[in-house]
Amino acid sequence: MIAQFAFASLTRRPLRTALTALGIAIAVGSTVVFLSLGEGLRQAFDTGLAGLGPDIQVSYGVFDTTSLSSVPQLPQRYLGAIEEEAEAYGISAITPVLLYLRGSLAAATAFMFYGIPEDTDLGRLYRDYTIVEGRDLAPARVERGDDGRVPVVGPAVVGEQTAQRGGIAVGDVLRLNPSAAFEVVGIAVADGGLLDNAILVPLEPLQAALGAEDRLSFLTLELDDPSTAGSTAEALREAYPELGFQTRSDLSSVFERAVRISDVVRLGISAIALIVGGIAVANTMLMSVFERTREFGVVRAVGARPRFLMGLVLFEAMVLALVGALAGIAVGYVGALAVNQYALDLIGLDVAAVTPRLVAFAVAVAGGVGLLSGLLPAARAARVPIAVAVARE
Amino acid sequence: MLRASGLRKTYVTPAGDVHALRSFDHAFEPGKVTAVLGPSGSGKSPLLNLLAGFDVPSAGEVWLGDVAINRLPERERSGLRLRSFGFVFQSFNLVTVFSALQNVALPLGLAGVPRAERDERARETLERVGLLHRADHLPHKLSGGERQRVALARALANDPAVVFADEPTGSLDSANGALVLSALEQVALDGRTVVLVTHDVALAGRAHSRLRLLDGRLDSVDHGGATVPEAGLQDAALTGPAPTADRAVPLTSR
Ligand SMILES: Nc1ncnc2c1ncn2[C@@H]1O[C@H](COP(=O)(O)OP(=O)(O)OP(=O)(O)O)[C@@H](O)[C@H]1O
Ligand SMILES: [Mg+2]
Repeated sequence: MIAQFAFASLTRRPLRTALTALGIAIAVGSTVVFLSLGEGLRQAFDTGLAGLGPDIQVSYGVFDTTSLSSVPQLPQRYLGAIEEEAEAYGISAITPVLLYLRGSLAAATAFMFYGIPEDTDLGRLYRDYTIVEGRDLAPARVERGDDGRVPVVGPAVVGEQTAQRGGIAVGDVLRLNPSAAFEVVGIAVADGGLLDNAILVPLEPLQAALGAEDRLSFLTLELDDPSTAGSTAEALREAYPELGFQTRSDLSSVFERAVRISDVVRLGISAIALIVGGIAVANTMLMSVFERTREFGVVRAVGARPRFLMGLVLFEAMVLALVGALAGIAVGYVGALAVNQYALDLIGLDVAAVTPRLVAFAVAVAGGVGLLSGLLPAARAARVPIAVAVARE
Repeated sequence: MLRASGLRKTYVTPAGDVHALRSFDHAFEPGKVTAVLGPSGSGKSPLLNLLAGFDVPSAGEVWLGDVAINRLPERERSGLRLRSFGFVFQSFNLVTVFSALQNVALPLGLAGVPRAERDERARETLERVGLLHRADHLPHKLSGGERQRVALARALANDPAVVFADEPTGSLDSANGALVLSALEQVALDGRTVVLVTHDVALAGRAHSRLRLLDGRLDSVDHGGATVPEAGLQDAALTGPAPTADRAVPLTSR
């Protein structure tokens, strides 16, 4: 009976119903778009990055999300020091890495240079590493002496996505700075997202080009038994207190923490939209309770309990909120697609994802908003005295 | 049997107390139409509101059988209104977003009758007031007389023991008014108690008995039966300006 009554009330005032649901739809839609960003990053991390990466990563000082973009700080002597003790710690391979982000206002010309020894077994660093065109990094010599002005100091292997995005082909020359350039000798693909945005170059020429001969961004350690990563990192921390040792799970928690923080920010922004949507529903319901005072009095006179009217108004508010939520999820989905279209061009990554749990969250939040915003009008409705039904108009 | 004893109602307002009902005792006979008459302000509506359980008295009791309905908690009083009382208002008071059929089905739905059965029973009740053909119309598509008959059907839907009507003909022309009264007479013939508040002395004359209120007190009781000849009213109904559809009220007794 409540459903029938609510349905009749909502459908006989279609414009008002539609406008209120629209308010909720916009609120939920923007929430979905905002939150889908975090979901997309998580998904990219889970499918691409999580299984990759070293057993232990060694950095200078504590590793956090800013470490990747900061200048190389790790003195190269630690490479030799740890190499000497590799056997004692059960370390099977050590790779020194120098990261250099060549920023640019135009996304297509912003590159991540990834300096590693040219004889590194890249299959170990990147799952399913395959050269699709040209050759591998080794040998580190190139024929070309310069590109006309800038000396070419070594070869480069470019991730396929980066190549497509930047229109890079084998034989091209990439300028790092006015005194060094790399010749593209190969295009590679690998599972996960890391290689997509990377330009692999030999370590030493990169160090030289950056004037950072004895500096690294970090070391990556592979262990004989990866399951001992936690205890090995602990032992290394004691031996080298000035260094940071991050296991794979440390890294993912750093990442997770960063995404969480951005979740909170995005939730905060969405909350404003949701509150506004909730107020719209509450306002509509209050108005409609006020308009129907007499009708509600009549329904009470006929024999409905106060709770019936309370339930009716809450139900109507919930229906409005949920219809709005469904429309909002559709809007959010389209919005996330648009964001991805843009982000794919920009950084080659699907940053937004409308996951089932996000949909469930949106529906739950809309339900909560409906319930909350319906409470006051519902309490009003329950207090409508029967006398108004019989009062003179 | 509906009975009031020592009934009093005082409205406390910021402007002072209003003694709407000072003293009222009466037992309403089942199977009869009892008219309540009296000048405006004499307390007829307050009385009806107390009897129907819309409001509670300041003193005294309203008995339905051996239940003092004014002592019930609101929840149970709602249930009693739903199952034992029917109400017809002067201004029809149909639910505007519901069709005629849905209006009649409303009390059944509130009583928990399943959808299919409630629609079936509502249809039967609508047929009794001759409006089955308007079942799916919204109230604003119906004439005043038709609306009041839908309201009557709604009042009868749950097969109540008592039907209250406060000026049910007040918004109708005399012909439609007479039709509604005939319908109420029929309702009483089914063995129900009918309490009818009216200003219309001619209509009241057709009731089985008349109570006259004066200044919140029961002034006189008249069991004289119909004082206006049947024929006169029939004529009024037939010669009045009511549309044809309103004239034929096939209110068959159950
Ligand atoms: N809810 C209320 N609050 C305050 N006073 C009320 C209320 N209901 C009725 N009264 C007062 O009680 C008195 C009698 O009520 P009312 O005028 O409804 O009687 P009535 O006999 O039904 O009159 P009418 O024939 O005009 O309908 C009036 O003085 C009225 O102002
Ligand atoms: Mg009155």
